[in-house]
Amino acid sequence: MRRESTRRVSQEKAAFGVIRALSILTIVILGLIMGFILYKGLRYSNETRSTVLPYEESAPEGLSLVVNSQVELKSVDFSVLYGMYTDEYINWSKISSDGFDLLPIAIDGNKSEGVGAARLLFGEAAVPQWGRLVKTVPDAATALAMVSSTSGAAAIVGADEAAVAMKGDSGKKIRVVPLRRIELALSDDAAALVDNKSLEDLDDAAIVRLMGGSVKNWKELGGPDLPIKLVSPPAGSSLARTIAAAGYKNAGPAPKANGEKMADYLAGIQGGSGEVGYLFGAEAQASGISTLTRKGVESGWNLTWNYLVEEPRLSGKVGGISTIILNTLFMLVITILIAAPIGVAAAVYLVEYAKQGTLVSILRLGTETLAGIPSIIFGLFGYLFFVNILHFGFGLLSGCLTLSLMILPTIVRTSEEALKSVPGSLLEGSLALGATKLQTIVKVAIPAAASGILTGLILGVGRAVGETAALIFTMGSDYKLAKGLFSSARVLSSHVYLLFAEGISFDRAFSTATVLIVIVLLFNFVARRLIERMGSQQ
Amino acid sequence: MKGEAADDAGIKGKTMETARPKFDVQDLDLWYAQTQALKKVAIQVSPNAITALIGPSGCGKSTFLRVLDRMNDLIDAVRIEGKVLYDGVDIFSPEADVIELRKRIGMVFQKPNPFPMSIYDNIAYGPRVHGFKARSGAERRKLDELVERSLVNAALFDEVKDRLHKSAMGLSGGQQQRLCIARVLAVEPDVLLMDEPTSALDPISTAKIETLLDELKKSYTIVIVTHNMQQAGRVSDSTGFFLHGELVEFAPTKELFFNPKDKRTENYISGRFG
Repeated sequence: MRRESTRRVSQEKAAFGVIRALSILTIVILGLIMGFILYKGLRYSNETRSTVLPYEESAPEGLSLVVNSQVELKSVDFSVLYGMYTDEYINWSKISSDGFDLLPIAIDGNKSEGVGAARLLFGEAAVPQWGRLVKTVPDAATALAMVSSTSGAAAIVGADEAAVAMKGDSGKKIRVVPLRRIELALSDDAAALVDNKSLEDLDDAAIVRLMGGSVKNWKELGGPDLPIKLVSPPAGSSLARTIAAAGYKNAGPAPKANGEKMADYLAGIQGGSGEVGYLFGAEAQASGISTLTRKGVESGWNLTWNYLVEEPRLSGKVGGISTIILNTLFMLVITILIAAPIGVAAAVYLVEYAKQGTLVSILRLGTETLAGIPSIIFGLFGYLFFVNILHFGFGLLSGCLTLSLMILPTIVRTSEEALKSVPGSLLEGSLALGATKLQTIVKVAIPAAASGILTGLILGVGRAVGETAALIFTMGSDYKLAKGLFSSARVLSSHVYLLFAEGISFDRAFSTATVLIVIVLLFNFVARRLIERMGSQQ
Repeated sequence: MKGEAADDAGIKGKTMETARPKFDVQDLDLWYAQTQALKKVAIQVSPNAITALIGPSGCGKSTFLRVLDRMNDLIDAVRIEGKVLYDGVDIFSPEADVIELRKRIGMVFQKPNPFPMSIYDNIAYGPRVHGFKARSGAERRKLDELVERSLVNAALFDEVKDRLHKSAMGLSGGQQQRLCIARVLAVEPDVLLMDEPTSALDPISTAKIETLLDELKKSYTIVIVTHNMQQAGRVSDSTGFFLHGELVEFAPTKELFFNPKDKRTENYISGRFG
């Protein structure tokens, strides 16, 4: 007897443990999914490879790169700056994800700023090779005026002028962009491919170890079997000053006296055996010396305010999603306007008017079957019926009608249950006061069932807002603001799909997904509050 | 139902015995599908009096009550034969307007069934469905007065006057039932039908409603179904005893309780069954 009861207790405990473990697992999985999507949506973190080290100068050589403030550019690598002024780029899309045409401006080569800019880009010795896109202006004032008035303009002007302009009236229209230009140059034999192996890309820690002298042989970094020789730039040179300002260490021998020239330093590395030293990008570019590739991680906010309020451009690759959010809201409103009255009316008919017989059971079976049909099939139907046969074309109306059909079963069934659960005594009370059946349904039954009906609507809307398959065939994918019921419109869910499927941007797909999730959450939250308020009134 | 007002005016002065009955039910049969629930019921309900209907469960008294304002219409399988004259007009005749009938004959149910809205809206519900539109200030004041008068007449006003616009679902059971009575009164009916109005209530609430009934009798004809024989004895002027769908005996209350003519009535009121 006693053993029997202890056995039962232990069974109970085991069952409880399993149930608890499963529920915790469910919660963990849910949290993981939501957390991952939200994290990816809010933050981006990408591996970057570049030849420059991270130190940023806002006034290299007393000059500043100034861009129009509409350009989303926080800092620029030397290679990008070089590309901007040598016709490699014709618009900003590859540089900063902006859609503007690029207008690089330089000051006339006879002025000191023009000479400085040429030296900054092309090195001391080489002949400047400006691109054909580059517009030459006589002075800094002209350049700054052009930058502040032209969306895609950039100019290299004197740092002092730039600072003054930043404080002035045009300060909000321009932005000074810092430059990264220190590279690590190494001898050709150290960079050479030996036994099918070559030097790895180095992360910051490896670079610190390399330049700190704790790595002795290139072999340790995946390179050839050569001892590492650290060399320092000539003392007093601009390079030496910049490195000191950046705080970069160099465990190599002390720089030689002022007499040594940059050219010798460079030649010493290039022709040496296992040498490595700091170098400006311009010299490296001009001399074609081998440089190390730095492996870094770039991270930042993915979902920004601008992303929410800007219009999408270039297939959503640049710009934001403002019109898509609005299109989604239009879609929801239209779908609710179509589906809610029909769904509630159908439920009222089924519960209050229809004779409970074969017809009603067939109708019930029908709605249940519809609820289980995959949305892609609704999409096909919508495409054939609304788009082609009714000639509505790809647009909001076709899409919303298709979605309404899709969510009707949910709305009908939940509304039916809600109406059924209204106590008969309430209906009798109303009828006994001399109200007609219609008055009773409108004024008593539907308000009493409102929370249930609303739940059905939310479930339906939740399904609608996340729907992609049914919309691709019916609503089109134009990311501009819908102009009318017949204009093609892209909504958040199809935007996520297209960003992903067309390989435009995973980061953007995730931030759009985050916005979508937040909208659904908001919807649920508001609806829950509404239901609670209704509940407290009852 | 034309000429009713004139008839009413004529009736008022006469004594109960000589007045035309409010309801004249003749040979009423009622079937639920194959089951006969009422058998040849004949009864005359006097105006401005309380008529109690007693009997064991399932005897047909509630069914009979629901016939009087045609609430049985809502059930599909019901078949009715016989005549029910209300103020001389057959309520089942094709010309009879069931909405108008239910407006004139209010019904209070066993379980309080306030609507899930505010106290004020509950009372104003009847007037509103009958087309009372409170658009102008004067009309709104009129509706306010009607609501207040109904609540006063249902002896509820003092308890709820500070929370007229709060939900009616927050009231106690007894208050809810008086609210339901007030809701019926707001339609300004002629007859009140009550289906065991106190069976779900505690003794104090019951006492309040019984006092109220006495008060209401002055202006309304009341038919009350009750399980509680003491209640029938306390409040009613005449009492009918139902058994197995038949009206066994119908007499002034004192007579029925102290000098029943039928053996079955005697057995029932002396507590031998039911």
